[in-house]
Amino acid sequence: MKGKSGGWADKILRIDVSNRRKEVIPTVIYSGKYLGGLGIAAGIAWDEIRPETGAFDADNKLIFATGPLTGTLAPGSGRMEIVGKSPRTFPDEIVTRSGMGGHWGVELKRAGYDAVILQGEADSTLYVYIDGDNIEFHDAKEIWGKDTYVTQKRLKDKHGDHVQVVCIGPAGENRSRIATIVSETSFTSGKSGFGAVMGAKKVKAIVVNGSGGQIRVARPGRLVNLAAHYRELLGYNPMREWTVGYSPPDYHQRFYKKYRKGNASCFGCTLQCFAFIKVPELDPAQVHCINYYYMKPAYDFYGETLEGDQAVWQSVVLSNKLGLCTFEMAGFIPWLKDLSDNGLLDEKSSGLPLTKFGSREFIETLLENITYRKGIGDVLAEGAPRAAEMLPDAWSLYEKYYPAHGQTEHNSVRDYPAIALLWALDSRDPMIDHHAYRHLAVSRQRWPEPHGLAPEAAQAVSEKIFGTRTAIDHGTYAEKAKAVAYCQNRSAVINSLVLCDFLFPIFVSQSREDRMGDTAAESRLLSAVTGTDIDEETLNGVGERIWNVLRAIMVREGRTKQKDTLHPTNFQRTDTKEEASQHSVAIIAASHTQPIDRDEFETAKAEYYDIRGWDPETGRATRDTLEKLDLKDIADQLNG
Amino acid sequence: MNTRRRQSLVANPNACTGCRTCEAVCSLIKNGAISPDMARIRIERRPFEGEFVQGICHQCSIPYCLNACPVEAIGISEKIGTVLIDKDICDGCGQCEAACPYGVIVMDTEDEKACKCDLCNGKPQCVKSCPMNALGLVVFGNEVTR
Repeated sequence: MKGKSGGWADKILRIDVSNRRKEVIPTVIYSGKYLGGLGIAAGIAWDEIRPETGAFDADNKLIFATGPLTGTLAPGSGRMEIVGKSPRTFPDEIVTRSGMGGHWGVELKRAGYDAVILQGEADSTLYVYIDGDNIEFHDAKEIWGKDTYVTQKRLKDKHGDHVQVVCIGPAGENRSRIATIVSETSFTSGKSGFGAVMGAKKVKAIVVNGSGGQIRVARPGRLVNLAAHYRELLGYNPMREWTVGYSPPDYHQRFYKKYRKGNASCFGCTLQCFAFIKVPELDPAQVHCINYYYMKPAYDFYGETLEGDQAVWQSVVLSNKLGLCTFEMAGFIPWLKDLSDNGLLDEKSSGLPLTKFGSREFIETLLENITYRKGIGDVLAEGAPRAAEMLPDAWSLYEKYYPAHGQTEHNSVRDYPAIALLWALDSRDPMIDHHAYRHLAVSRQRWPEPHGLAPEAAQAVSEKIFGTRTAIDHGTYAEKAKAVAYCQNRSAVINSLVLCDFLFPIFVSQSREDRMGDTAAESRLLSAVTGTDIDEETLNGVGERIWNVLRAIMVREGRTKQKDTLHPTNFQRTDTKEEASQHSVAIIAASHTQPIDRDEFETAKAEYYDIRGWDPETGRATRDTLEKLDLKDIADQLNG
Repeated sequence: MNTRRRQSLVANPNACTGCRTCEAVCSLIKNGAISPDMARIRIERRPFEGEFVQGICHQCSIPYCLNACPVEAIGISEKIGTVLIDKDICDGCGQCEAACPYGVIVMDTEDEKACKCDLCNGKPQCVKSCPMNALGLVVFGNEVTR
């Protein structure tokens, strides 16, 4: 029996800014195989982004994609995925992804589109306005050069407070490879430099007006009940407290106690992980974990004074206003300090006030010099690995802070074998998609009650999900490959629906005595929204297919088995405990002082290829594997 | 003159984060699709100030909408004292929408008639769904109404 359908808006909007034309494509061309979000964007990227296309070429496409669960009542359904050829990937510009939370994606669906393909290069700066069938190209003269907050306020003044905006700051305009796309005060698409791609296309913003639009749901009653059930199962996630000062060190908590006004959140979220902060004399804004990258240096310089707090807050707000990635800054800050301490950087040649490291003056100068490409800022705007190649001897210290692909450390690869594999096998920092594994295997076991997870409970969950307790044992590379493949498949599904990876998959539930979550949640929510029943196993298969398309794109761009690795220092360097903790920049300090055993690592990689059905010599999916995943066309093109 | 047992939503704007779950659940239940414009509860988001304010129907003691209605389509339910619109009588003139000081009467885009919060018959789904417990239901004592 075929009932009501729901989920998709059924249309994909192509916007070509070269000739200021639009085209509408039926979503069903891609959604049948690839669901939505990351999946359909990967399908489009395979079809349309050639390997030889550069990130700043007019031929590059930026695909903003929502999924069938975006903007529904499913918890955490406010996110979307952006895919394109990235200027930030290293050593080559390759296709990668970057997620973004907020409300823009929901507004896009209400305006009638599942995705936008932005392509071409405008002859003069412009912004795009989307209102149903009406697509307008407006001159951006008055907002070009303005920061992201001013830009959005001007656009809202013109088009109404209810519209949603994604935009770039001056960093994106100046093609900084570490530029972000920003919505509201701090919903950002970072790490992949897509702000610079918008800048290269001379597109300042995309404004969406979804007024009057609706998102269809096939089984409303069922969805309401399921959403209530999963909100209860997800319980009170400590991340909400974390951003209000839950995590050590104590000075985070003191900062939040002084300045937190409340929380802020993406559409339909049960977690509400942004704290909203107001520090005297500076712009108020919402803030996330990585945004505190300058807290320690500022407090070392000023102590916990108002001036110190203002330096911390200015580092957050100015990054987002200029459109620079705070994750990149989290790597820059300790790396530049290290270079300076080792005599590889001086005030005169760098133009940075290095003796005032930790001051507000230092961070303002650094951010502005990068944005406007002044002095050493012009080099740093190329992103850490490219800067490390250009600055004399800088590479010698670089690898301590950047484990692979030129991206900032995010959970130590040396501490956690599964995380090392996730890093090695991806095109970018993978950890933004794998909070579920990290929370189960690491974080929750460190959190205090009532949010903590006893090691035995974590092992029982691991056994249920991965079929083995060893999947979360960090002392060995054994039994990690299977968990890694599982987590990648699930992340592909989540990024295609699109749900938030902080909530899904639900490995652990704080509201249950035995702490067991429910990994069937996504399939049940999807069935309720679309009206077509799909089970967990089938959905995992779709995830596997999407992961293989992403891999096929990487292979076509030159990815090989040899490139599935980490920077060499991870296999060589032995550290003291103090050194190890200094190298970790992203909240959780590393503790592992020993290098990774290359043989163990390679053995686990071989197991992974075997599970994936990829050739053990080349790391390419075999024809048989691709055909089983209904990807015959890709097999033909890749091998033929 | 008669007495009325009044119930109403209450909202705590300091706890609201602007996630719009309440609007989603309201429009889904009442209209069968998610459309914040159609929700009987409104979230005003001021993201640059960090202010998120709920617009709720107060089921007023002296309802502006009821008094504004020229065709007497608006009445008060005997069971829980909710201010209700009878769609069979409503002619869609929009005077109640204009009269409501809280801006929470919405005109249905399909049948062009007015609709408003009916407290989901005493079990408001927005209250149940709010992840921040920023909404509640209060039951007042008997009130004298006109």
